[in-house]
Amino acid sequence: MSAEDTVRRQVEDFLYMEARLADESRYEDWEALVTDDMHYWVPAGSAQQDPADGLSYINDNRARLATRIRQLTTGKRHAQTPPSPMRRVISNIEILSDDGAEIRVASNFVLYELAVQSTTRLRIWPGRVTHLLRRIDGQLRMAAKTVELVTATEPQPNLAFLL
Amino acid sequence: MGERPRLDYGALVADDRVHGSVYTDPQIFEEELDRIFIRGWVFVGHESEVPAPGDWVTRRLGREPVIMVRDREGGVGVLANRCAHRGTALCWEPRGHSTSFQCGYHAWTFGLDGSLRAVPYPAGFDRDKADLGLDRPGQVGGYRGFVFANPDGGAGPLADHLGTGGVGMLDRLCDLSPTGSIRLDRGWIGHRVNSNWKMWPESDNDGYHLNWVHASMVAAAPDTYYQEVVLGGETGNQSLAVDWGGGHFELDFRPSYGHELAWLGAGRDKVSGYCQALEAALGVERATQLLWDGPPHGFVFPNLFLGEMNLAIIEPISTGEMVHWHSCVQLEGVEEPFNRRLLRQSEAALGPAAFIVPDDAVTAERMQLAFGGARPEWAPQGRAWIDMSRGLAREQVLDGGRRAALVSDETTNRAFWHHYRQVMSSAGVAASGVVAASGVVPASGVLPASGER
Repeated sequence: MSAEDTVRRQVEDFLYMEARLADESRYEDWEALVTDDMHYWVPAGSAQQDPADGLSYINDNRARLATRIRQLTTGKRHAQTPPSPMRRVISNIEILSDDGAEIRVASNFVLYELAVQSTTRLRIWPGRVTHLLRRIDGQLRMAAKTVELVTATEPQPNLAFLL
Repeated sequence: MGERPRLDYGALVADDRVHGSVYTDPQIFEEELDRIFIRGWVFVGHESEVPAPGDWVTRRLGREPVIMVRDREGGVGVLANRCAHRGTALCWEPRGHSTSFQCGYHAWTFGLDGSLRAVPYPAGFDRDKADLGLDRPGQVGGYRGFVFANPDGGAGPLADHLGTGGVGMLDRLCDLSPTGSIRLDRGWIGHRVNSNWKMWPESDNDGYHLNWVHASMVAAAPDTYYQEVVLGGETGNQSLAVDWGGGHFELDFRPSYGHELAWLGAGRDKVSGYCQALEAALGVERATQLLWDGPPHGFVFPNLFLGEMNLAIIEPISTGEMVHWHSCVQLEGVEEPFNRRLLRQSEAALGPAAFIVPDDAVTAERMQLAFGGARPEWAPQGRAWIDMSRGLAREQVLDGGRRAALVSDETTNRAFWHHYRQVMSSAGVAASGVVAASGVVPASGVLPASGER
């Protein structure tokens, strides 16, 4: 297997694991995948804008992401109590760059979420993710995750889980 | 089912309780669109959203799609988003810029003032173009950049609608800017909720629910200023639930703030540039008062939530669906880092992924589900009522004619419902929503709304 194939395999394994932890609302396990400078961003429009300039659905630096996880783990986050059953499918994985230290990778996803907290409706969340993955002590970690929802410009229902 | 007699809103909304069918009954929803969103004054947007001639945004007044546009003279108009020929929507994006509005169907072209300018193949068209401009609200008015419309035109002056309470709250927000002006130029985020729209004037201004609905936020971020202004409940703060009359109300946190800028959650050292700009513009005494008081947390009937440094528009969709649109207030005349601080606070508080409002949303959805079977006919049977009696006996009339009780009392909810009952019980039928004049706020942007300024 070529070196590039090995990297792709590692990246895919990471993306699938990260998706599974998010799907299963394993908040602290998911949080263990992020770096100390993690930026978690879900823009409300096109991702071309600077997140500092406008209003985003989610625009978490590491401290705010920690608050988000703390809130979810209180057991009193009603918008995710009980947690939504979820499964997402990831595809169209493209490695955009790899400078040896960091890998930028983009992928498409479709997430199915059952809103068991109230309406019990099945919600479908399609979009594209760009991950910035960093090699730390031989492991991949997330330094940034940007989620561009297909529906980003439209009103969204509750989005209190980890995308 | 036979024909239903005219609904008696006095039988559905009592002084101290409300019947659950007001959230779920389709006839009531239709009557609300007529009596509140056509016959009354409705918030449309803010002038700063359309700074230059030709700038426009699209909105809905109840179910009616409209365009708010800056015209060539600098005024802000509100036009029906519907070609006067065959009815095609003229604008289908949330915002844009045009020198005119051209319909995609047969290329009828309208000026920024809504007048019909050109029709292709004019030889075959012998109507007077002056009769075929875009529909527009009967009245449009503005106060400090806030644009309101009354589609029917018969609601009387905007100043009478806003009253002391509405004007006062808008003043308290705008006065926080060294230039007296706010901007809403960072866009809007929509939060779609499967609840009735009226649960939002309730929830956004309920001083009683925070310790339970927002328990996870309190646990995860225990150092917010909400601790000192509302979370202490009845005995832990001096805040007030206030009924200003006219359907306007607020949770008045001012008596609880223990230091200047408490509402910002940041000391003077973090925002010294802002404090200096305010003092330079208004003098130290006035600036100090503003820095202590902060922005209002209140509601302007029927669809504008003033959530401190955020605004929200309550948009009804159907009995069981609404959109809670929010934007972040930006102050004119301050440094960019200050406004960016406000953006970050807004992201934490409002929207589908924020730390606060999603828990209100799921609560409202559960309430909607619980009233799913409620019918007005149940009211006399004593079934499916909500109780909102809390604190009724200890309300007091304070200065300015406002009724007030403790922040945990349901005075704000009663303020909404008592006005709602009055509006919904009013006799008569809406006049035509199509009037050809006066749908523009003058270029000055400020109508003589009251003697308050």
